[in-house]
Amino acid sequence: MTRTRLFFLASVLLCTITLPAFVMAQDQTTPPADTKPAADAQSPDTKPADTKPMTDTKPADAKLPIKAALVLTPEFCATKIKPKGSALTKEWGTFEVGKAACEQLEPALKEAFFSLSRVAAPPAAQEAQLVLLPRIVDVNATTAMGAFSNREMVVVLEWTAKDPAGNTVWLETVQGSAKHHMGNLFTFKKNQVLIVTDSVKDAAVQSASKMSSSPELRKLTQ
Amino acid sequence: MSRTDLIRILCASCALFLMPAYAQQKFADYPVHAADSYAVKAENTGLVIGAQPVEDPKEQKVYFDTELIPRGFIPVFIVIENRSKEDSFLFDKSAITCGPDEAGISHLEVRSKAERPAVAGLSLLAPAGGFIVMAKVNSASHVQQNILKKELQSKTLSPLASGHGFLYIPAPKNGPRPKIHLRIPVTKLSAEKPETFVLDLVF
Repeated sequence: MTRTRLFFLASVLLCTITLPAFVMAQDQTTPPADTKPAADAQSPDTKPADTKPMTDTKPADAKLPIKAALVLTPEFCATKIKPKGSALTKEWGTFEVGKAACEQLEPALKEAFFSLSRVAAPPAAQEAQLVLLPRIVDVNATTAMGAFSNREMVVVLEWTAKDPAGNTVWLETVQGSAKHHMGNLFTFKKNQVLIVTDSVKDAAVQSASKMSSSPELRKLTQ
Repeated sequence: MSRTDLIRILCASCALFLMPAYAQQKFADYPVHAADSYAVKAENTGLVIGAQPVEDPKEQKVYFDTELIPRGFIPVFIVIENRSKEDSFLFDKSAITCGPDEAGISHLEVRSKAERPAVAGLSLLAPAGGFIVMAKVNSASHVQQNILKKELQSKTLSPLASGHGFLYIPAPKNGPRPKIHLRIPVTKLSAEKPETFVLDLVF
């Protein structure tokens, strides 16, 4: 075989490797605001065929005139989830979801309430009209073949809102998601932190939107 | 370079090209219908729950890209609809109990979380949630992710709102399965005191 043919084959191979990486790099998640929530990523054919679709979420309304307390316990902030999978396929490290949640939830929820205070334990009845208790239900991340391949993380966050009498007045679960490159040996850890932060940020934004559009929470203000 | 080497290079190129496409494969969504159109259903004060066990291995392959029965789980698709124009309901997934159906199970009122597992010999479903199913389904990460995304989660059903998703019910891996009894406690929000009632599904 001639040298020309060898060069041609080598360039075909190189193009094949670099093209998908380039295409996926274009698809890389930038701000979490642009990240499509995993819950909304369903195709239109999943809508009820024989019923009028019932709306689950409405666009975020004005701030709720409620004095709310966001309970972020030290245990919650220390929540770490181990990646799932077999010994061969499991990724390294842990997902420090609690740490990211304790950084992201308060600023996001301040957009939904006139008054929001962060507390480390459930407050006394007279201190808040609404007590917000988050719980990390589960976290999962896909793995990718190459350093430039995108992978997706989903963070499932459950909210329980209680009134001063201790009754649950609202319960909701949100799925925050984000996509990022897997990264190579040197960038893997940084990318892992980035995907956790962005997934939690997405869950926080969705939480604020669901809270401010909730008729049950709005009723508390009347 | 021989013809064999040429074929090898071309195969490697094809594999590299197709791998990312495979990794990003999409899963089919299970079709959603009105809750009262399902064969297994229950209703109380404007709240309707419909259930559809997905037991066909071919169907499981389509929606999960894996078979769940050999792992000891049956995926059951649940649709919950609040048809009330005034009332809201709390659906708490962690309070669901399930177990083999026995004749003469009485509709006991659920009083506390601690009491729930003891009711009619049923056990809490929560430990068999997506987390455990994912651990048992030792498949590719995208298969596990899909199981998590499709799972039914706790939520508030505002007036005229609905929700749907899968519950993963423990079941025998081999042989005919006994009838399964699913008890779903739901709390109706009211100004005075929240009222909890139970919807029973047997399939």
